Amino acid sequence: MSIAAIILALTLGCYAVAVLESWSMHGRLSLTRPAASALALLGREQILPRTSDRLFFETGPVLLLVAGLLSVAVIPLAPGLIITDLAIGALFLNAALAYVLVALIMAGWGPNGAYGMIGGWRFLGQFIAYAMLIVMPITAVAMRAESLSTTQIVLSQAALWNVAYQPIGFVLFVVAAMGVAWLPPVDLPTGGGDLAGGVEAEYTGARLAVLRLARLVIIVALASATVTFYLGGWLGPWLPGWAWTALKTLAVAAAMLALGPRLPRLREAQYLAVSWKLGITLALANIFLVGVIALVVPI
Amino acid sequence: MNLGPTLFLTFFGIAAIWFGIVVFRTHSMVRSAIALLFSQTAIGAMFLVMQAEFLGVLQIMMMATEMSVMAIFMVMFMMDPGGMGKMDMTHQKRLSLWAGGVGLAAALAVIWTAGWQGPVPDVPGADEQARELGRELLGRSMFIFESAALMILTAMIAATMVAIAPQEEDTQ
Repeated sequence: MSIAAIILALTLGCYAVAVLESWSMHGRLSLTRPAASALALLGREQILPRTSDRLFFETGPVLLLVAGLLSVAVIPLAPGLIITDLAIGALFLNAALAYVLVALIMAGWGPNGAYGMIGGWRFLGQFIAYAMLIVMPITAVAMRAESLSTTQIVLSQAALWNVAYQPIGFVLFVVAAMGVAWLPPVDLPTGGGDLAGGVEAEYTGARLAVLRLARLVIIVALASATVTFYLGGWLGPWLPGWAWTALKTLAVAAAMLALGPRLPRLREAQYLAVSWKLGITLALANIFLVGVIALVVPI
Repeated sequence: MNLGPTLFLTFFGIAAIWFGIVVFRTHSMVRSAIALLFSQTAIGAMFLVMQAEFLGVLQIMMMATEMSVMAIFMVMFMMDPGGMGKMDMTHQKRLSLWAGGVGLAAALAVIWTAGWQGPVPDVPGADEQARELGRELLGRSMFIFESAALMILTAMIAATMVAIAPQEEDTQ
């Protein structure tokens, strides 16, 4: 029952994110555009590039979708409304998201095309930049909750949401999350206007539809992870828990999508420099501060 | 021992070995690296079947990154990374066979001679395992892990220095 409810919520969430993304990209709100795009993609010819690594070409988009779905499995929509409440849920989320990198490298390498390959390897550079900034803020979140379970993490924020308790961690996590979902300004693997679609360049038809759907799932997963770790998850007055999670997730996704296109795209070297020189220093400071606060004034 | 876990353990064990074989059977460096990744992921899945959640998930997570980084190094340094030129990249076959055979014999000897205790009757919960692992890492094993970390950091700095050294020549 809860699995069906979560899959329904995820489907609706992906559609809403697709509407928001097309709004932020084209400047016009249209509720039907994503459906029309999906139908158009499914109806198009599916081209198989010559001398491609067929196994990687076919597996890449599917693995991306699986990674996104697995990361959603540990996000609680409401108390008890979660696919699997693992004791190490926060770590599991990281493990699932690590396969976004593998899937993009496979999808980039598979078609035997220059743009795709550069896009795939660029994401490796991007990964080296954001990897620590996903893990270290979560460490501080887990320190406060004294647990890696996502349900416990939400419950630990009953008195004060983590966005107020550890604002540095929140900012770092959101920046890193945008890197994981390759949202602008760090959309290096696809790089519109730069790499001619990058990883997506050689994909057509249903395969491209799977690739784009997987990305929507990943955006929803990261927005809901931000809500779980920093914005109190299902906690909130008047409305039922699942409604709060859904509203907050959409708000976070909308903020990420609205912010990106207004910033200039970063090169991977710039993203690496900012992440390692500034980001990791701040993340360490955040862990230290949270540790001190947790010991001195337990909230 | 229950039939279900045994079946899964066998399945993932065979998958780990099979992907290990694929590593050497493919000409493509990237395929080779990804096959090694899935071999390691299968070992992570074996940890999960044995209810070692933290270790299993950690293994599955760490390998994804490590093997991807290895893949790009192989692409950078090998002459035929895609395997499309059908280059034979094996060498010293006789030595390799001997080394592999001796390694296999040693591994089998360890398996047969080690005093394996029976299955643990009560596996502690995943949260308890994580707590005990933390105590171990910050207690008895701290020195080992800290010294390993320092060595890796030294290697990273050295590797970076090697990578940026030619800049001076470029400016001349």
